[in-house]
Amino acid sequence: MAVRVGVFAIIAGVSPVHATEADDECQGATDDCVAIGGWNFSVAVGAGVRTNPLVNGKAIPLVVIPQFSYYGKRFFIDNLDFGFTLAERGTNTFNLIATPGYDRVYFYRTDLQNFFIGFPNALYPDSPALVTSSTPGATKVSPPAPHITYFAGPEWTFKYGPVTGQLDLLRDATGQNSGDEIRGALGIPLLKSKGTVSANIGFTWKSAATVNYYYRVPILYSGSAAFDPFIKLGYTLPLSSKWRFNAFAEYEHLGNGIADSPIVAEHGVATVFVGAIYTF
Amino acid sequence: MALQQFSWVRSIRSNATHGGVALASVLLSLGLLSPSRTNAASTDERDNIRLELRPRICTLTTNDTQCDTVVHATWRSPRNESLCLVIVERPEVKRCWEKYSEGNYSIELIFSADLVFQLKDLDLKQVLASDVLRVIREAVRYRHKRREPWNIFN
Repeated sequence: MAVRVGVFAIIAGVSPVHATEADDECQGATDDCVAIGGWNFSVAVGAGVRTNPLVNGKAIPLVVIPQFSYYGKRFFIDNLDFGFTLAERGTNTFNLIATPGYDRVYFYRTDLQNFFIGFPNALYPDSPALVTSSTPGATKVSPPAPHITYFAGPEWTFKYGPVTGQLDLLRDATGQNSGDEIRGALGIPLLKSKGTVSANIGFTWKSAATVNYYYRVPILYSGSAAFDPFIKLGYTLPLSSKWRFNAFAEYEHLGNGIADSPIVAEHGVATVFVGAIYTF
Repeated sequence: MALQQFSWVRSIRSNATHGGVALASVLLSLGLLSPSRTNAASTDERDNIRLELRPRICTLTTNDTQCDTVVHATWRSPRNESLCLVIVERPEVKRCWEKYSEGNYSIELIFSADLVFQLKDLDLKQVLASDVLRVIREAVRYRHKRREPWNIFN
């Protein structure tokens, strides 16, 4: 872990810094700044869907999406993520974070992450079935039944002009699969007038251990590491001090290590949403 | 007797402030009134009337814009006094007592800045005692939000 932090510092081109130095730059609540010690709640209400790449997987509806966060001086809660800000200077921030393994949302509709990405109005049926018991001569194969996992590791976020960036180096901290995951993304504002058009591009790299925890099928399939790039286009328009219109479309391409699994039917995950966000 | 003496001293001071410096000078020259005695009496007079407020501090949190609370004012004096309780810049608040040695007054107030409570004589000219109900705003500090373009809603 120490090596990873060192790598982050080299990437950022900075030396370890004091966490409080950047606090002075925030003089009020803005898009970039938030009050220390307060909870923040918002809810998105609208219509949308996220496809489910699994065989027989049901799409995830996006109807009511609550979001919450809390920021202490260093500690923060960001929906289901927990973090601790190690250092911050100017446009670079280094955190230690813990974040849930994401892929479980495709297997369990009741996964907590689905509460914060959609409205849990239905339970999935049994996990994806390769064969049914009525298939002549078929051998029943136990489907994956992933538990809730949490990844933990260092996070580097930065701002370069209008562009924001995020890079997470994560390892399973719950002892479920000892897998690794790297998440990286850039947020790029494209047009800004009354509303803002923005693009996000990024990726998730999953180690073979992570991939196999979710997508391995005993006897039939054992996957390799997977690189999943994504692109998102979004539009946000403030409607009032509390409401803002929000619409976006995202496509994530699944790496071969995942897409080749016999329990995966689609090579990508698409998400679209149109609605409004109310900030309490 | 003591009451009369203090009333007299008060009268002297009042006149002096209106140009009766000559009279005070005459009294001083006759030895009837020494400077130290005058000051001591004035100080004692102020010190002996006690005004206390509860609460004395109202703390506004991040989300509060004003205080809304019942304030209890209590005063005591070693002798009977005729006086009024007022709040600076709140002319609608006035409670008077005649020949009492103590008094209580409770009032619900909405305020966003310090309130100065004063006990004055019945003419509302001389301040006999005062106390301040202070408003303290919780210092709000800010920090950067987490940047997370990887998150689908950012």
